[in-house]
Amino acid sequence: MPQISFDDVSLSLDGRQVFGPVSLSLREKRIGVVGQNGAGKSSFLRLMAGLVKPDQGQVRIGDADVYADRKAALAGIGVIFQNPDHQILFPTVAEEIAFGLAQLGASKADAKAGALHVLQEQDRSDWADRACYTLSGGQRHYLCLMAVLAMKPDVILLDEPYAGLDIPTSARLHRQLAGLAQSLVMITHDPRTLDSYDRVIWLDGGVVAADGPPAKVLPQFESEMARRAEC
Amino acid sequence: MLSLTLERQSWAHRIPVGWKLAALCGLTFFVFPLENIALLTLGIGGVGLLCASLGRVGFTASLRGLRPILWFAVIILGYHLLVGRIGQGLGIVLRMLLLVGAANFVTMTSRLSDMMNWVIWALSPLRRLGIPPERIALAFALMIRFTPVLGQRAAHLAQAWRARSNRRVGVGIVAPLAVSALDDADHVAEALRARGGVR
Amino acid sequence: MERNIVYIAVFAAVIAALGLLPKLTLISGIPITAQSMGIMLCGTILGARKGALAVILFLALVALGLPLLAGGRGGLGVFTTPWAGFLFGFPVAAFATGLMMRWLRGARVGVSAGIAAVVGGIGVLYAVAVPYYMAMTGAGLVDAIVTAMLPFLAGDLVKAVAAGAITGAIHKARPRAVMSRA
Repeated sequence: MPQISFDDVSLSLDGRQVFGPVSLSLREKRIGVVGQNGAGKSSFLRLMAGLVKPDQGQVRIGDADVYADRKAALAGIGVIFQNPDHQILFPTVAEEIAFGLAQLGASKADAKAGALHVLQEQDRSDWADRACYTLSGGQRHYLCLMAVLAMKPDVILLDEPYAGLDIPTSARLHRQLAGLAQSLVMITHDPRTLDSYDRVIWLDGGVVAADGPPAKVLPQFESEMARRAEC
Repeated sequence: MLSLTLERQSWAHRIPVGWKLAALCGLTFFVFPLENIALLTLGIGGVGLLCASLGRVGFTASLRGLRPILWFAVIILGYHLLVGRIGQGLGIVLRMLLLVGAANFVTMTSRLSDMMNWVIWALSPLRRLGIPPERIALAFALMIRFTPVLGQRAAHLAQAWRARSNRRVGVGIVAPLAVSALDDADHVAEALRARGGVR
Repeated sequence: MERNIVYIAVFAAVIAALGLLPKLTLISGIPITAQSMGIMLCGTILGARKGALAVILFLALVALGLPLLAGGRGGLGVFTTPWAGFLFGFPVAAFATGLMMRWLRGARVGVSAGIAAVVGGIGVLYAVAVPYYMAMTGAGLVDAIVTAMLPFLAGDLVKAVAAGAITGAIHKARPRAVMSRA
C-alpha cells in the first residue's frame, strides 16, 4: 500500500472542531478504526478520501495531497459509504459501474465493456440492465463494492459496511472483503470484525485515543465502552 | 421505471427519433392556425390510423393517452356552448385532440434512451457555453435514479401518516420528504466526488 | 459543482415524487395536487438559476416519455394542449420565485418564501399561462381567465402559503441546504 499520511490535520464543522489535530502514517494492509458515534470516524474517512478540506494540515497518499490532487486520490483510494443508497448514482447496474471507469479516462464504449467485464468476472452478467432500486440491501452493497473494485484502487475505505445487514449477508461481505488484494481501512463500531486486522486506531473526541495491534487496542476500547455504558 | 413507450416493437419504433420529432414539429406549425373542421377531422382520422397500425395494445394505449384531456375538452366545449360560439370551441378541441394524439404517438414509439441520446446530441453545441453534454447526461441519469426512491419514500411517509391519523394525507409530509431528499443529495454529491466528480 | 448538479437532479425528482402522491389535503379540507408546490419549492430552496434548471430537467424527462406529471401524465402530448403554458411557465415561475427570495432576504425565511411563491409561482406563472392559452385558443382575456385561471387559483394560493411554511421548516432543519439563502 502506498503510504497515507495525516500531517497535523484538523477539521471543524460550523465552527466546532470535530477532528484533530491528528498525525498518522498508514501503510498496513488491514486497518480498523473504532470509536463511538461522533468520535470523528466519519471525518477521518472524509479527510482521507479527500472529500473535505482540512482546516489545518494535509492528508497525502504517496506525495500527493488527496484534496488538491483528485486524480491521484481517485486512482489510489476507493470509498464505500455506509448507505449504498447514497452511493449508487445511476439507474442501472452497468451504468453505475461504467461511470467510475469513464471517470478514470475510459471512453464511453470502453467503460461499458469494462463494466460488463467486471460483472462477468463476478458471475453477475445478468445484473447489467437491472434497475439499481430493485436490488436488495445486500446486493446493493455488493454493487457498490464492484463499482469501486472496477476502478482498481490501492486502498479501499469502508464506512460501517456491516451496518444494517443480516447475518448471512454480512458474513458473505466479510468473506469478500477478506479475499481482496487491496489494502482496507474500515470504520466500525463492532470490534469483533477486526480480530484479524494488522492495526486498530481508536478515535475519541476527534483525536487518537489508542493505536496499535488489535490484541492491544481492542480490549482497552471494549472495557472503556463497557464502563461508559454503565454511567 | 415505467415509461410510456410501447414495449412491443413496431415499424414506427425503427424510425430515428430526430425524424419523428421533426415531423411532429412540422405538424404543430401546420395545424396551429388551422380552423377548418373537416381538415382537422381528417387529420384526427390519420393519427387514428397511425395508432391503429401499432396493434390493439397500441391503440388502447393511445386512447388512454387522450383520457386526461377529456376533462379539458369538456371545460372548453361547455364554456363555448355557454357563450354561444360552439364552432370555435369545436375547432379548439379537435386541434387539441390531433396534436396530443400525434405527440403521444411519437412518445409511444420512441424509447427513453433513444430520446435522451437525441436530446444530449441536440444540446451538444452548449459545450461552447461551458456546459458539456456529459453533465446533462449525468443530470438525467441522477434524476431517473432518484425518482423511484423518492416516490417510495413519499409513499412510506404517507403510510406513516395514515398509521397515526384517520384524516387524508396532508401537506405535512412534504417537508420531511424534502429534508430527506436534501440529505440524500449531500451524501450523493460526496459519493460523486469520491469517484471523480463532475467535469 | 457536484453539489449543484445533484441538488438540481434531486429536486427534479422531488417534483416527480410529489406528483406520484395521491392528492393531499390541507387543514381546510381542500384536496390539492402537490406537484406545483414542488415548482415553488425549487425556487424558494435552490434559488433562481438552479431552481429553474431543476424544473427544466423535470419537464425534459416528462417530454421524453416518463409519466411524471400529476395523474400519471407525460410524453410530448401534454405540451400540445392549450394549458401547456403552465408547463412552459413552470421554469420561469421557479426562476422568479428564486429572484424574489433573494430580493426579500431581509425578511424571515418562511415569510419571504410565501411571498416569493405567490409572486413567482402564481403571478408569473399565470402571466405566462394565460396569454399562451389565449394564443392557442384565440380566446379573449375574460374567456382565458375563466377557463385557464379561476379553476386553479384558490388551490394555488393555498399551495403558495404552504410552500412558505415548508421552506421555513426546511430552513430550520437544514439551514445550509436552503441555497437561496446560503
